[in-house]
Amino acid sequence: MGVIELQGLEVRLGGRTVLNGLTGELRGSAIGLLGPNGAGKSTLINTLLGFHNPSAGVARVFGMDSRHQRAQIRERIGYMPENDSFIGNMSGVRFVRYMAELAGLPSGVALERAHEALFFVGLGEVRYRKISTYSLGMKQLIKLAQAMAHGPRLLILDEPTNGLDPMARQRMIQTLRDIRAAGSIGLLISSHLLHDIEEICDEVMILKQGRLAAICNIEEERRSHRNFIEVETVGQIDAFCAALRDRGCECACFSAGRVKLVMPDTIEVRDLYVAADQHGVEIRRIHRRRDSLEDIFLRAMDLEPARGELVRI
Amino acid sequence: MSVFKHEYSAYEGRVTRRWQRIGVLVRYGLAEAWSSRITVGLFTLAMLPVIVDLVAIYLANNAIARIMVSPGAKFPLEIDAKFFLRVLSAQCWLALVVNAWVAPRLVSFDLADNALPILLSHPISRFGYVAGKFISLFSILSLVTWVPCLLLFAYQAYSAPQPWFGANMHVGFGLFAGSLLWIAIVALLGLALSSWVRWRMVATGVIFAAVFVPAGIGAVVTGILRTRWGLLLNVPVMMTEIWQRMLGAPQVMKADMELPGMAITLVLLAAMTLCVALLNARIRAREVVRG
Repeated sequence: MGVIELQGLEVRLGGRTVLNGLTGELRGSAIGLLGPNGAGKSTLINTLLGFHNPSAGVARVFGMDSRHQRAQIRERIGYMPENDSFIGNMSGVRFVRYMAELAGLPSGVALERAHEALFFVGLGEVRYRKISTYSLGMKQLIKLAQAMAHGPRLLILDEPTNGLDPMARQRMIQTLRDIRAAGSIGLLISSHLLHDIEEICDEVMILKQGRLAAICNIEEERRSHRNFIEVETVGQIDAFCAALRDRGCECACFSAGRVKLVMPDTIEVRDLYVAADQHGVEIRRIHRRRDSLEDIFLRAMDLEPARGELVRI
Repeated sequence: MSVFKHEYSAYEGRVTRRWQRIGVLVRYGLAEAWSSRITVGLFTLAMLPVIVDLVAIYLANNAIARIMVSPGAKFPLEIDAKFFLRVLSAQCWLALVVNAWVAPRLVSFDLADNALPILLSHPISRFGYVAGKFISLFSILSLVTWVPCLLLFAYQAYSAPQPWFGANMHVGFGLFAGSLLWIAIVALLGLALSSWVRWRMVATGVIFAAVFVPAGIGAVVTGILRTRWGLLLNVPVMMTEIWQRMLGAPQVMKADMELPGMAITLVLLAAMTLCVALLNARIRAREVVRG
């Protein structure tokens, strides 16, 4: 059973189709949700939480339907929203305890776990202060503490590093990596910061204009040891790229004559020079490098997926 | 309490039942309301008339006290439906004051810092959230309305000669039902308006305005058009008529200005429906922008 399963998920809000025919299954222990602003990342999270009803299709979390079993899903989920969301009048420990009790923990256990969660995220020393007096970084951490205090099976984090300074950001990432390493809590992290996702996640789902652009297992990609080649050229590269694609290369063209390609085993570097010569392109530089999440993301953004179709990376 | 730093893991222990989560909202709501000294002050203020009424009932039923207060003459105070109508009216209007202070405290803190997405991401529905806040408010307003009213009624029933209780049971029922109706109206009004006004002090003012501004307009309509229907905007008049009918007290209004019970019921139902609609529109985890 996957952590998240989507079957033709369509969500319409305010007369607009925000999510359009998403189909896919995510099984990773730390899943990244990527996409440019307005791609539908937050809407997908809200749908998984049962805040929005699908207009068509199904979204399942741990096999439970987000439309009909939202209470069961919410018992197993901790949610950290993107924007400020807390009760400023309460102290940190009281707020986290309140949320844990709402999640179903008995009062005494909730208090104990609230203290532990606050120490875990690094707010132990300020837990009796009112939240309204916290800094922006502390407010992000208190949202994380309340999301994990009741010990959910899945943490959904919407832009967890938003507004954090570099040190606070690094600390948040380290905390999330610790949670991932502990292994008993899954992570679903929405972000448009590729570096954050790359550091934490083992699987990514890339959305573009409400459609699923790609699902990619980063760990598998890392394990595959496929060498990628980056070529810097001078000249018209469109025909050159087309010729490489004809020979079985996966090829992405960028500005200033940069071409990134994955060569099948049957192609040698020499063949690149031959193809370049045939199409009047000068190769100035070649270097081999491993595929980064940025490359995966950019290729997914280049390709135009049809409704319900998944682009293979 | 000892705090253990450990790797975080999923919770496998006992969880409370879902309906008990509403109790969590009620408990935290009550704690929030009573954390204010002004709430305590208003509650104390609301108890003062009860003490005065208690003394009045004692004097009215004590032969020695009656002689001392008015020797040789009829005791000036009769403990009957009219007396309890006055008690109920006083307590209910004090309850409005308490409600105008407490209702914004219950809702505004959640809305001011956008806590609803986090609150509603837990296994609690929007209905459960509103129910929790409503029960908190209901509990506090009960302490100001039907609880003291029924205690006074019980004391009168105990102090008066036996036939009094048998002949006035409907007064006790009227005190209870009239209070419940008033609590339902003001609690819904308080929660609905508090959910739309972010600043607590402004919300308090808006709650008073929602009761008394239409009453003023209704009085103007009644005066200018010489019609009784303007009184349908006047909550104090409508409630007084309802309470008077429930307690079986003598008529307060002139006969030609009396409003039909059905018209009053419809207006109050419409007002409560509007409050529910306001809550339904505002108590959401996410707002959807149309267009």
